[in-house]
Amino acid sequence: MSGKDRIEIFPSRMAQTIMKARLKGAQTGRNLLKKKSDALTLRFRQILKKIIETKMLMGEVMREAAFSLAEAKFTAGDFSTTVIQNVNRAQVKIRAKKDNVAGVTLPVFEHYHEGTDSYELTGLARGGEQLAKLKRNYAKAVELLVELASLQLSFGLNVPLLISSQSWMRESEKSSIG
Amino acid sequence: MLECAELYFNVDHGYLEGLVRGCKASLLTQQDYINLAQCETLEDLKIHLQTTDYGNFLANQTNPLTVSKIDTEMRKRLCREFDYFRNNSLEPLSTFFTYMTCSYMIDNVILLMNGALQKKSVKEILVKCHPLGRFTEMEAVNIAETPSDLFNAILVETPLAPFFQDCMSENTLDELNIELLRNKLYKSYLEAFYKFCKNHGDVTAEVMCPILEFEADRRAFIITFNSFGTELSKEDRETLYPTIGKLYPEGLRLLAQAEDFDQMKRVADHYGVYKPLFEAVGGSGGKTLEDVFYEHEVQINVLAFNRQFHYGVFYAYVKLKEQEMRNIVWIAECISQRHRTKINSYIPIL
Repeated sequence: MSGKDRIEIFPSRMAQTIMKARLKGAQTGRNLLKKKSDALTLRFRQILKKIIETKMLMGEVMREAAFSLAEAKFTAGDFSTTVIQNVNRAQVKIRAKKDNVAGVTLPVFEHYHEGTDSYELTGLARGGEQLAKLKRNYAKAVELLVELASLQLSFGLNVPLLISSQSWMRESEKSSIG
Repeated sequence: MLECAELYFNVDHGYLEGLVRGCKASLLTQQDYINLAQCETLEDLKIHLQTTDYGNFLANQTNPLTVSKIDTEMRKRLCREFDYFRNNSLEPLSTFFTYMTCSYMIDNVILLMNGALQKKSVKEILVKCHPLGRFTEMEAVNIAETPSDLFNAILVETPLAPFFQDCMSENTLDELNIELLRNKLYKSYLEAFYKFCKNHGDVTAEVMCPILEFEADRRAFIITFNSFGTELSKEDRETLYPTIGKLYPEGLRLLAQAEDFDQMKRVADHYGVYKPLFEAVGGSGGKTLEDVFYEHEVQINVLAFNRQFHYGVFYAYVKLKEQEMRNIVWIAECISQRHRTKINSYIPIL
């Protein structure tokens, strides 16, 4: 404990009381930050786990959806041009909400349906059942994508928060030791 | 017409009948499909197809080979064959061919109408149109502002005009849902085609009429099935049923009242042809209603070749060729997506 860490101080009793108070403050600050950093780390791990699970599921769901497209084309013929031409409004939309964890607000995406299915009668005379299955599969894929997006966003915001809280903690540790 | 087609059919149509029978003999067999299903990549598939009658049709394609390229090339090939038949035909076979192309024309017209209403460029839609349904007025579609203009200016010259007139008066053309319009046109088309075959008489009527009756009934069943749970009302549904099939009139009336699959099945049980078809739905292979109907269609089309001196061979050949194309595209998709569990769900023809 020599060199740069020394604080220049006049050896009086008041100085000692002040130093003790400062030490207490630094220790309390460090404990609070440690708690915050622990909570963030925990949440961080949870999100990471969820992201991995969701991504694996995503692979499966997309594969299934692509295959059901092939099935629908087998029965119904080529309906892609009809579908693309009749696009007007979005049926599935996203709302952004705020979520609070350990004093930090994170955005969360939530999907909701609006309006009726404008492709209800497509494939009326041919391939309607396969088209319905196709619509369901891709709807599932979209919902999963929305979930993945909000997970990745909160993951992305979490990391710098975690790093900054840990660096503040180290600073306060240094000052409490000193 | 005299009831002895054998005496004079070959004078006008013998060459073409011989040609179409030769084409039919070159359809892929079960062994070919087994070979194709064992391919690992699309390149393998291309090599296998070279040994069949398809030959080097993919020779000029750049890498990488995709399923849509295969599909486009096959369709071009079918179109070339069909155009050859059509150009060398005489009346009344030429009218028969025109009737055959009407179904593709209906799809193209719906596509063009939709595109014109949304002010899309005509060129991009023309690329997407089915080549068999080409008609000369296609490019002129973008000059129309509303569907009624479109009808008055352009469609009135095509063979589709009587079908439009059947369906509705001009003003309702604007509000009608595009899918309902498509199905109404198809209904008029089927009825006109049926009348033509029946009036022609002879073997053609004996072969084509059952085929068209099945097509009509099949549409009635499928429309009913697909309209469960949608906004389509029962009265609207009934206007879409073609009236030339075995189901007319009692079956169609019962079908219009049906609300789920079991009620539909009970209607089908009254008819000897459809009872076994409905019983095959579900089962061990997980077959859907459409699969069962496709199989039956393939069977009756193959049977059309058992008789001579009629026009049904041309219709049957085109339908079988289309089924073959669908099968090949299905196998190609399973291979390219590496999803081989259902690769054998194609419908074998010969």
